[in-house]
Amino acid sequence: MATTTPTETSGSPKRDSLLGARVREAGWGYAFVLLPMVIFGIFFIYPLGYAIYISFYEWGILGKAPGTGNVGAENYRTLFDDPIFRRAIRNTIEFTVVVVPLEMALGLLIALVINARIRGRLFFRSAFYFPSLVSSAAITAIAIYILNANGLLNAIIGGNQAWFGDPSTALWSIVGLNAWTTAGTVMLFYLAALQSISTDVYEAAAIDGTSTWRTFWRITFPLLKPAHFFVLVVFGIGALKIFDQSFIVSGGTGGPVYSTYTVVLYIYNEAFKSANFGVAASAGVVMFVAILLLTLIQRATVGRTDIG
Amino acid sequence: MRKVTAVPAVLLGLALIAVVVAAATAQARTEKTQATNITLSGWSAGKTEDDLFQQVVDKFNSTHPAINVDYSVINGDYTTAMTARFAAQNPPDVFYVDSARLSTWAKQGVLQPLNSYIKASKYDTSKFYPGLLNAFKVGKNVYGFPKDWSPLAVEINTAMFAKAGIKRAPRTWAELTADAQKLASSNAVPDGKPICLNPDWARMLAFIYQNKGSLAKVQSPAVTQAVNFYVGLIKKGLAATPTQLGVGWPGEALGKEKAAIIFEGNWVMPYMPANFPQVKFGVGPMVKGKVNANLGFTVSYSLAKASKNKQAAWRLLSWLTSKVGMQTWMAYGLALPSRSDVKAKAGRQAFLASGPFSRGWAFPNFDATYTIMNNDLQAVINGTMTTSQMLADVASSLKG
Repeated sequence: MATTTPTETSGSPKRDSLLGARVREAGWGYAFVLLPMVIFGIFFIYPLGYAIYISFYEWGILGKAPGTGNVGAENYRTLFDDPIFRRAIRNTIEFTVVVVPLEMALGLLIALVINARIRGRLFFRSAFYFPSLVSSAAITAIAIYILNANGLLNAIIGGNQAWFGDPSTALWSIVGLNAWTTAGTVMLFYLAALQSISTDVYEAAAIDGTSTWRTFWRITFPLLKPAHFFVLVVFGIGALKIFDQSFIVSGGTGGPVYSTYTVVLYIYNEAFKSANFGVAASAGVVMFVAILLLTLIQRATVGRTDIG
Repeated sequence: MRKVTAVPAVLLGLALIAVVVAAATAQARTEKTQATNITLSGWSAGKTEDDLFQQVVDKFNSTHPAINVDYSVINGDYTTAMTARFAAQNPPDVFYVDSARLSTWAKQGVLQPLNSYIKASKYDTSKFYPGLLNAFKVGKNVYGFPKDWSPLAVEINTAMFAKAGIKRAPRTWAELTADAQKLASSNAVPDGKPICLNPDWARMLAFIYQNKGSLAKVQSPAVTQAVNFYVGLIKKGLAATPTQLGVGWPGEALGKEKAAIIFEGNWVMPYMPANFPQVKFGVGPMVKGKVNANLGFTVSYSLAKASKNKQAAWRLLSWLTSKVGMQTWMAYGLALPSRSDVKAKAGRQAFLASGPFSRGWAFPNFDATYTIMNNDLQAVINGTMTTSQMLADVASSLKG
């Protein structure tokens, strides 16, 4: 007599209960992320979609400009025909390419020093992190006084250079200011990554008689790859979105002589000063695509996102 | 016995409550139908000035019981805040509009044209300085009336002038150059330059108008000459920009005695005594070029197109800019009247003298053009751009 156990047939109770358990577990998971996803959808996905939509229209304060319809890529053409936008792209790229490696180098250096278990490391860790806590607008307002022709910096190093008033130094002054304020945060990420590296590799290197520099360059630096990727992506995106310092230093004009005009400042002026929301949205879309491509390239070249 | 007396007492109490509630409701309904609520907004000019303006609003409320005005100050970025309110179709009924912003907002359709209200109420606009009134017109539509204004004038350090042997502020371009040379040769301004000039078309445009130039023909010889004169003062070493002097603006240069001559507006009058009480300064009328001309920095009261109480809002707007309303505000001595029939605080004659020939600070495609104007002007001062290149950029931007 042939016998079959319930598990040998499809739709058997044990398989059904396993499937049901999985569905229930998944359901609980989705239920927990539902609220954050709805909020994400409302405050990120919807505005992104809306911005893409209005980038194809002449959009004013009250919506579509009367008597106009879909203008296709006209806003994008206007954008790339505008020499100010092209200059804003150039300034933003120059700023990012210089400030991000500088932040990484400073942050890594401070992290290495603090990780070496010097006396007072808790104090130094807090002191180096402190600039990151202070409002960027407040720091910039004070920096305007420190860096003016008769300011504190010139009193120390001599000369009467107007650091924010000279087109050849304005953007680099903002680079220096930004690197100083964000190095503390970068330090924290590198510190966490350094502390997750096993001491065995350093012991092995010490036994082999490896020099300090070779230990750092051949062991520590490569093992920090996940941290490098994380910092590059996060702080690279932050650098591309530079706005507050250029706005405060230039009074919103992007001067002197367009040297501090950034893409986000351009978007702000087009939207809130000129009420040209279609063009502003198209600049925002261009920025989004650029950052997305950059992130994908970084992911492919530098590596994974997890730290340690 | 107690039970019998308690019931009537309770009923009486309930009846009294009902009567009171009915009376209060009727009163509230009556008050509501009597007073129309409208909002008036502007940016903050400091707590003192805000409080004083509230007194002006209170006077309107007390003399116009049918209208209740709620004055609320918008702090922070006024333009951005108002843009959000326009987009939400919930702007204040009456609000400030800077002359520079007028054409953008009028084009966006958020301002109510006032022509029909002017006609219906026979509102007399003849006493407004024409240049200021025109700053709030787009085509034939009037979008606001100037609430107050300030032109530029010449402010001087009287001690430095005395040291250089100069008796009064310069009145012409020739005198300006000559006085600056005397100040330089007598070393009257050891820590700075004779003149502090803002690298800003919001100052230079006055000189362009004085040379019979205009933005309608911005690439003309008259404009080029005026620009070259203005920039030339810096290149000859007779003037410097605030940045070059290590200050934030020319008023600070005057106060820190880094300049003996500046061109600023009425706002210098309270600034100097409050910040640099030891510096003695004098005010003269704006210099004259080929003609008398000046810039008038002015703000209007305007009416929102989305206002639900336009008649009441018009009553407020027309009262604030009437002789009576404006005189009430001018009595506090904080601003200059934009009407020729309203008296200003004593000592402001140098500013008011420009009234008949001042033009409002406004032009087409304002924000984009102003950005180009000042960035290019800085490049001309630095020597990295020619005047004609700058004027070509400005001409192109003015077309929109």
